[in-house]
Amino acid sequence: MLLKQMNILLADDDTDDCMFFKEALKELYLPTDLTAVNDGEQLMQLLTNDTTELPHVIFLDLNMPRKNGFECLSEIKLNAKLNGIPVIIFSTSFEHETVNQLHKSGAMYYIRKPSQFSQFKSLIQQSLEFIAQAITEQPDRDNFVLKALDK
Amino acid sequence: MAKINKSVEDELIIARQELAFQKVEKGKRAAELGIANIELVFQDEEKEKRAAELIIANKEVVFQNKEKEDRAAELIIANKELLFQNKEKEMRAAELIIANKELLFQNKEKEMRAAELIIANKELVFQNKEKENRAAELIIANKELLFQNEEKEKRAAELSIANEELIFQNEEKEKRAAELIIANKELAFQNEEKEKRAAELIIANKELAFQNEEKEKRAAELSIANKELLAFTYVSSHDLQEPLRKIQTFCSIILENENENLTENGKYNFQRMQLAAGRMQQLIDDLLAFSRINTTELVFEKTDLNLIVEEVKTELKESIQDKHATIAATKLGFANIIAFQFRQLMYNLISNALKFSNPDKPTKIIIKSRIVKGSEINNNKLSSEKEYCHIMVKDNGIGFEPHFSERIFEVFQKLHSKEVYSGTGIGLAIVKKIVENHNGIIIATSELDKGATFDIYFPAN
Repeated sequence: MLLKQMNILLADDDTDDCMFFKEALKELYLPTDLTAVNDGEQLMQLLTNDTTELPHVIFLDLNMPRKNGFECLSEIKLNAKLNGIPVIIFSTSFEHETVNQLHKSGAMYYIRKPSQFSQFKSLIQQSLEFIAQAITEQPDRDNFVLKALDK
Repeated sequence: MAKINKSVEDELIIARQELAFQKVEKGKRAAELGIANIELVFQDEEKEKRAAELIIANKEVVFQNKEKEDRAAELIIANKELLFQNKEKEMRAAELIIANKELLFQNKEKEMRAAELIIANKELVFQNKEKENRAAELIIANKELLFQNEEKEKRAAELSIANEELIFQNEEKEKRAAELIIANKELAFQNEEKEKRAAELIIANKELAFQNEEKEKRAAELSIANKELLAFTYVSSHDLQEPLRKIQTFCSIILENENENLTENGKYNFQRMQLAAGRMQQLIDDLLAFSRINTTELVFEKTDLNLIVEEVKTELKESIQDKHATIAATKLGFANIIAFQFRQLMYNLISNALKFSNPDKPTKIIIKSRIVKGSEINNNKLSSEKEYCHIMVKDNGIGFEPHFSERIFEVFQKLHSKEVYSGTGIGLAIVKKIVENHNGIIIATSELDKGATFDIYFPAN
């Protein structure tokens, strides 16, 4: 269980997935504050706007209009102010080479959007617990992809 | 030399005999002169006797006297004549003395010549010896020449044999040349035939080239159409994932949150819907994998096979644990492969082995690799001189009947109903496609309940 309020920033253009995410957080009873943006441009604007508080974690979809997840990740990692924020990739697709590339680019975890809501909840819980434990070191390639515990 | 000597000696003897004869002659004349002198003295005495008688008779014979005086005058003349003759004889004697001296001189000259001749003789003897020495040397030289001559004769004999050998070889060569000429004519004839055929082939070739171009055009068109189709498959499969996942998620939310509002039949139908959606997800995943194999660039790189197997083992960790499977793969070495495709290949083969494992015994998967010559494999698709990388994946699962060994690699071909073993029938088609991308072959060997072995051969370089 998380002890303190966690600010989560979700970048996903899919309203259903945003809804699933919100619903999952609600059902998990986690003290979180979720902000959702619908494309990469919005994400980067929000992050580089000095007035907003920086999130504890970013959930990043790959396939987004205007600016995709890959571009956002590399911009975040090149920005000294932002590169300490853990970025968790949250995508429908799952291709080995893509996953490898994202691991190299410095993403914290990779979550393949699951088909069961229970898995959805499980994966969000897992990832938030890792973040809450302040594990800031990137895991090795074998543990980069998070898998749902129950099936 | 001896002869010359002898003739000189003979001449000397004759000259000496002549000198002796002249001395005797001179002695005889001197004796005769003495006798003539005595005669003249006697005649003088006679004349005085007669003068006395005459004085007596003088008076008688004054006349006679006068006559006698006349005769005396005549005698004086005669005497004078004799004196003159005497003087002449003395002159001749003096001449003889001179001649004698001359002879003595000649004699001395002859003796000198004889001495010279002796010297000349000695010289000749010396020269003779020299000539004998030279003759001896010439004999030695002669012997040497004889020896050399014999050697030369031997060599000549040897050369003669060699010559005969060469003649024989020459004859053989001529025979062969004759055979070659015949063979040459045959070849020339064959050549002409070949040229005729070549001309025919050129025509046929042009026709084929034209057909080829047409085919290439069509192939290019087909290739473009194929790529478009594969791209379409990829994009559509990829985009199908999202709505399908939504259906599944909503379905699971309804089953979870609306459970108490659903009848048992409603719940069952939702579960069936979940299963159908699950199969569709698997199908889309497999189609995506299959189209990716055909659309991505083929980049070969030297890759550690052990690493690939380790990666696949990590990905299949849960399944391996569920089946209590052991995977024996050590020292697989490096191979020149398209790494991401080969990982997919290994993933499909190993997950296949896990899926079709025998429930009655722990699953054992053995993976081996080696380099092997094509000639050792006995497969007409492999060239016998080339070296191949042989990778074997063997399991102890349920296996299949031998006559299915080709069919299992065809797309959508399955041996079991989806109720017993889930699957799309694409996995092994992908495996075969990947092996073909590596210019290799894959052979499946199995018997029912006796496990399955997959042997992959692809060029090592």
